[in-house]
Amino acid sequence: MSFDLKTEAAGRAVEPLLPVEKKLIGFSLGLGLVLLVVLVALNHFVPVKL
Amino acid sequence: MSDIAVKAADRAAVKDNFTEDWLAVIIGVLVFALALFSLGGTDLLGWAVTTSVYTDIGNALAPVAKAYAALGGVTALLLTYVALLAVLSAGVAALGADVRKFALRFTVVFAIAYASWIAGSYAYIAAVTPAEQQKFGIAWSLKLTNEGGFIVALLSGLVIANFFPRFAEWLKEAIRPELYIKIAIVILGATVAVTAAGRLNLASSLLLRGVAAIVEAYLIYWSVVYFVARKWFGFSREWSVPLASGISICGVAAAIATGGAIRARPQVPILVSSLVVVFAVVEVLILPFLAQTFLWQEPLVAGAWIGLAVKTDGAAVAGGGITESLIMAKAAAEGIKYQPGWVIATTATVKVFIDIFIGIWAFILGYIWTNHVDKRADKAKLSEIWERFPKFILGFVVVFAVSLWLAIGTTPEIAKALPSAAGEANVFRVIFFILTFFSIGVLSDFRKLWQDGFGKLAAVYFVSLFGFVIWVGLLISWLFFSGLKPPLA
Repeated sequence: MSFDLKTEAAGRAVEPLLPVEKKLIGFSLGLGLVLLVVLVALNHFVPVKL
Repeated sequence: MSDIAVKAADRAAVKDNFTEDWLAVIIGVLVFALALFSLGGTDLLGWAVTTSVYTDIGNALAPVAKAYAALGGVTALLLTYVALLAVLSAGVAALGADVRKFALRFTVVFAIAYASWIAGSYAYIAAVTPAEQQKFGIAWSLKLTNEGGFIVALLSGLVIANFFPRFAEWLKEAIRPELYIKIAIVILGATVAVTAAGRLNLASSLLLRGVAAIVEAYLIYWSVVYFVARKWFGFSREWSVPLASGISICGVAAAIATGGAIRARPQVPILVSSLVVVFAVVEVLILPFLAQTFLWQEPLVAGAWIGLAVKTDGAAVAGGGITESLIMAKAAAEGIKYQPGWVIATTATVKVFIDIFIGIWAFILGYIWTNHVDKRADKAKLSEIWERFPKFILGFVVVFAVSLWLAIGTTPEIAKALPSAAGEANVFRVIFFILTFFSIGVLSDFRKLWQDGFGKLAAVYFVSLFGFVIWVGLLISWLFFSGLKPPLA
């Protein structure tokens, strides 16, 4: 496999974050945190039955 | 870059759409179906070998069923080897591999892996309670349980990978950790169902809490790791997507699926995958012992944590197995005897939930990339969701559903006989676990970490995993599973 990882990892010009990437990160994190709070609440109100 | 892991992942076996996933479904369901014959009084798998804790090696091996006791342990071992060789050789032939090469190498892999398992069952390594030590006439032991054999198998593989790289390269045809663990997970469906049938309320609660794992892996972990890779380490999008997926979701499968979805060059996700395997080994060597020390009073938190923190199916579910045996050993020493199966069932549930959404996540990323980032690339198609769906999960679901129906929807006689049948299938699950551990070890060439360029990738992984993923996983496992205990035996 002719693949120079050193060049790949270090030699490339830095790609700035595009608006769509920022949106993806923001929406994912925001939705994740909101859903987590909902699930924690659900976990609290629907306790485990043994 | 020469790299066994790359080649192994590259080979991820596809011939006319027949993949390792489908092979795992067929073999796993076959083992399960054969085990079910015992419900009708015909024991087809009772000859399979099991290993007990021993001080006299002559007592280590035996057939799993008493009806086959006359065979003796060595014959049972040979029969088990021949059966696995035949079935797996037929399987890899269907995948287009060289059967002769595979058969020879599998023989060596099986021999070393099972020898490791036997070594791990030596009483000085495995005996747990003072009563066991007294029974074997020993004054001390490492108390690893006989599942310490998994760690011995992993270490054997690591020694080969790092000190005998040519031998590791020679073995590679039979080094198929993804295939072995997928077969094991399909078979595990029976054990999980039998375990769940005893406590349906607790089992359904586990499923509900599995949803939290999806939210955490896909939405929280992924976005943070992607940001770290892009912003702090300056990686390109092509590298950052598979890297974030590998660290956040489910290692190899997710890195390859999402890398393909954004049309990355094939080498990129494959190199990320080899890094995932190396870190998974480090985690499996450390986390179960941390769990035993700090979480032994919260066994299901420990099981969920391993499922969230360890990033390959093989290492995670196998790590769940080690964690269960270590925690049960510690609890037993404190006079608490939990029912077995709950910790590993929690790990497997978390992992399966995470796996299910790989295809959907890959499609979402593919859609965004081909429509908004790289508009020249061919557009993502809905059919990719099915193409990237890990098919072995279907096998797990089928085995689980049939077992659950047999346990609670049929006659009391069948329900009573089912645990024994599932136990015989479980013997093969354990053997496939052993093969997985050994294979993961053989793929883990730590020298890669010192190669030029790999350090930066490893740094992202290290920072994300130890600075964020492990701790958030612990917090979320604690939020959802604390206070939940396995039933007492």
